[in-house]
Amino acid sequence: MATQNSSSILFTNTNPQQGFRLLELTPELEKLFSSKDAPALELKSPSAALARAVVDPSALEYVNLCTPTQTYRIRQVQSSNSLHILRPSLGQISRADIKVVEEEAGESGSLNLPDEAVTAIAKCRSTLELHVPPGGFSAVPFLEKSLGLYDRRSGDDDGDIPMDESSRGFGALGLAELRDRVFVDIPVSSAQCEAGWREICAFVDEKQGACWRPSARMRLNVWKRLMEGAILQTIDLEKQFLVRDLWKSVLDEDDTSDPPFPRALLEAVVRRLCVLDEGPALADEIKWASFDKAECTQWVGETYLAATAPTSSSAIGRSDFLREWKDCLPESWRSEVALSKLQEGSYQSPDPTTISFVEPSQRQQVSQTSAAAPATAAKVKSTRNWHELLKNQKRH
Amino acid sequence: MPSIPLHPRSSGLAPTKPTGAPFHPVHPVHNPLPQLLQTPSGLALLELQGTINVPASETEQDGPDENQDLESTSYETPIGKLMFPDYSIHNPDDTKWMKRVYLYVGRYQRMTGEVKKLPRPIAVLQKRAGTDGSEELEVVEIVRYKVFFKNRPEPVNDV
Repeated sequence: MATQNSSSILFTNTNPQQGFRLLELTPELEKLFSSKDAPALELKSPSAALARAVVDPSALEYVNLCTPTQTYRIRQVQSSNSLHILRPSLGQISRADIKVVEEEAGESGSLNLPDEAVTAIAKCRSTLELHVPPGGFSAVPFLEKSLGLYDRRSGDDDGDIPMDESSRGFGALGLAELRDRVFVDIPVSSAQCEAGWREICAFVDEKQGACWRPSARMRLNVWKRLMEGAILQTIDLEKQFLVRDLWKSVLDEDDTSDPPFPRALLEAVVRRLCVLDEGPALADEIKWASFDKAECTQWVGETYLAATAPTSSSAIGRSDFLREWKDCLPESWRSEVALSKLQEGSYQSPDPTTISFVEPSQRQQVSQTSAAAPATAAKVKSTRNWHELLKNQKRH
Repeated sequence: MPSIPLHPRSSGLAPTKPTGAPFHPVHPVHNPLPQLLQTPSGLALLELQGTINVPASETEQDGPDENQDLESTSYETPIGKLMFPDYSIHNPDDTKWMKRVYLYVGRYQRMTGEVKKLPRPIAVLQKRAGTDGSEELEVVEIVRYKVFFKNRPEPVNDV
């Protein structure tokens, strides 16, 4: 059949084969990779300790693909078909074997070697697929486990602060580096790490070279102090103010005494409450800020509740709560206070007259009670090699 | 390392339409595939049900030796022929040819398949060369079509 010969391409198998992985792209990723200055992405998995502490109900071991802003879970999908990766032949065809496909020479020219040849250089039995779980990804659960709790009572200096061993000995590292050391173990994108950091008012204590998450009580103290300072110095929190001025208003009159809390903590609270589009990136200094009344009111209410009634056994009276909440706010904001302003699910009522806080992690559990808990977290291996992690995943 | 970087294609440019000629001379070899299947790096995907058995000595090792210079020591074993019987280089915009592709395995077996557009493009990832200490990956190509043989081979006369 002459027509066949004229358009046929020799198909060969290259040995040794090469190692490739096939990654199915989402439309967003395709766009990202196709852009002219495409950023490098990251494959992230939690540190072994974090994997044990923050158990993912859907997978014991996992690898996430992170763009600067998005996170995707990588799922290895096995196929009974084999996917071969081809490329044009380089011409190192063992001619002794050519009779496999062609009768021995004589009729030279029937096969145009090596121009008309492709070769299989790799075989893949699986592809990597990406997906985002319904709730998305958050850095908060990881930050809560990896940062030490900052709950210093005014007065005691090096008191009973739980020191996280791993956060010691950073020496002269910069703030950003200290923060990045925390983020590198958190398997979500850097934008989501920053959002979580901001959400819980985490901060870097430069003097100690440590990263902290302040307790609810601590955050409430900061808020009360800054509100009092703002009133004394007539700083309108709803209008743009200099963060430097707010810090000065927080300090005691006599400059000699130590500040009530690190300036970084005040700035963390300011970043949390700052009107969204005014908040600078974590790497940039926050110079100016203004607060959003509604956001502040909600945050203060929830923080107060978390500080005074963290569990149902410590529930407080509703009317007491509403009165205290109002007292925590500037005079003109008192009318904002209402239970409906709190985030849905953030509180519970053990009985009709009382109220208590519900931890964000508990809220998720309530909505996922049916989700099967994974086998014991203790089984999580210490491996962070992504080949291993993918190999051990459940076959689909 | 807990975090492994995945670098975008080094060219940075994303030609959506192959122009026929290779974009950069990684493999400055004539690409005999139809234009639609050609990519800047020359890589293409072929899927088949089952597997191609090559003699035992040639089967994949558990991970090829990374340090080996693949290009210089590798060799190719002929398997068969790939044919796009309805494809005409003079009429590349007509896509009817995609419906029929033959893969002859040896001289007496033939599989019939087709060229399919992938529902989602696939990035071909590879370990970045020269990163021994820390592992780094790189997107070497984004492929949008595959040659797909879903049927079993049928016996044919020698071609």
